[in-house]
Amino acid sequence: MIEVEHLTKRFRHATAVDDLSFSVPRGRITGFLGPNGAGKTTTLRVLLGLALPTSGHATLAGRRYRELAAPLRTVGAVLEASNYHPARSGRSHLRVLAAAAGIPQARVDQVLAEVELSGAAKRKVGGYSLGMRQRLSVAAALLGEPELLVLDEPANGLDPEGIRWLRNFLRSFAGRGGTVFVSSHVLGEMSQLADEVVIIHRGKLVAHQSVAELTLQATGATRVRSPRAEDLLARLRAGGIDAEPTEAGTLAVHAPPERVGDLAAEAGIPLHELVAEKGSLEEAFLELTAEPQP
Amino acid sequence: MNALRAELLKAVTTRLLLWFGLGLLAFLLLVLSIHIGSHDLLSLSQRSTQRSTLAFGGLAAIVAVLIGSLLVTAEYAHGTINQSLLAVPVREKLLTAKLAAAVLVVFAIAVLADAATLLIAEVWYHGRGVNLHLGSDTLAPFLGAVGGSMIAAGIGVGVGALLRRQTGAIIAILLWLLIGEGVISAAGDSARFAPGHALGAVVAAHEVGARDMLGVWAAVVVGLLYAAIFCTAGFLVVLNSDAPTSGD
Repeated sequence: MIEVEHLTKRFRHATAVDDLSFSVPRGRITGFLGPNGAGKTTTLRVLLGLALPTSGHATLAGRRYRELAAPLRTVGAVLEASNYHPARSGRSHLRVLAAAAGIPQARVDQVLAEVELSGAAKRKVGGYSLGMRQRLSVAAALLGEPELLVLDEPANGLDPEGIRWLRNFLRSFAGRGGTVFVSSHVLGEMSQLADEVVIIHRGKLVAHQSVAELTLQATGATRVRSPRAEDLLARLRAGGIDAEPTEAGTLAVHAPPERVGDLAAEAGIPLHELVAEKGSLEEAFLELTAEPQP
Repeated sequence: MNALRAELLKAVTTRLLLWFGLGLLAFLLLVLSIHIGSHDLLSLSQRSTQRSTLAFGGLAAIVAVLIGSLLVTAEYAHGTINQSLLAVPVREKLLTAKLAAAVLVVFAIAVLADAATLLIAEVWYHGRGVNLHLGSDTLAPFLGAVGGSMIAAGIGVGVGALLRRQTGAIIAILLWLLIGEGVISAAGDSARFAPGHALGAVVAAHEVGARDMLGVWAAVVVGLLYAAIFCTAGFLVVLNSDAPTSGD
């Protein structure tokens, strides 16, 4: 559904996206992750024809965005929540987009109801909260009833209720066969939502896997409890293993439980608890995007 | 047509046109009152004075160049250019729709300015007991005001696309009209080819030119050339640049 091939985007003094290639399959929710400044927004903007690539290309349904015959009916995009004229009402904003795309004006009221903004439709966008603007962005994306949604940090500014609404909405959209490509830095939210993730760092691809595979690979911490926790901590650190005390008599050790158990046995240190904690998307993300130690 | 409809809708869903329209009407009332009130009755009855009075509707051309630029720069100032490009990703199509919308909007404003000029002049002349002669010679500036404003809108769209910064574009236009055109007048006869002078000549609508003013048709050609040059340069800049973002 989305193909990004050898995409590079350079600004005057910086390379935001560096020979990036990946594809997003149809009918799935794909998360797009990376630290701030990794090049996520730039990649999405090139994909949507808002920024011009230095080299390479990005296509949607086999075409560049500007080549799509009916762009809003193919792709719905949620970008920054600040892209509004403050003196225009939410309804007028959608009417303008509907007119430009040849979408019947009746659809405007439908999408406003869908995002629960009907009551504020005639108010000026300048008076909207950030959350309301995000909902308006989602309404704009839905105008053309597209089969693909591209969202850049859609949870920004949403309260917990709004985030839950967005999660349910995206799941329902994907459940109806739609494709979702969503960038986010809220990893906990993404692990609940996405089927797979594309992770980039410094403009380069570092992982493209299913969430399940990725968390399986992540090094989960090992929780160990011992009456001689301080001795064990010293022994672990002497062995080059990263560990820190968490509560009285308990350590979090960044090594597999087998190695911790063996080392404790060699030193004759008794253990009362040895638990392998499951890796998370957050841990996988941090491992993949960690800066090398000087 | 969809893109043009959307651009017209954008223009009427904010108060930009309302404020410009009201401002123009107030300014016309002020300058016409000063102009007519300061002439003696003999002077007011002369055709040349009446023609110059009715040419005040040409002030719409100044508003036109500002509206033309704002229809482009407001999109950049508020970031709505992103949404516009998502709906109409072919940039030359979007800009052409903006140009057409600016010309149509300004046509309506110039007709309104002409009507207001006629109404205010009629009231003043009637009040001072002088007949306002309405014939082809005195009414020619009305057509000039409409034509000059439409060309000015084209120049405004080009300047807006070229600069893309709202405040910068407004300051550049006003500085040029208030200072640049005055400075260039010192250059002698060639000053009549400057954009402001050419638009002034379109509004004045004299068949035959003078040392400091082109004839109307020559002025139309020069004005259209300026519009074409600014639009071509502006469109090339927009086509080859990224839409603005505050993202990462």
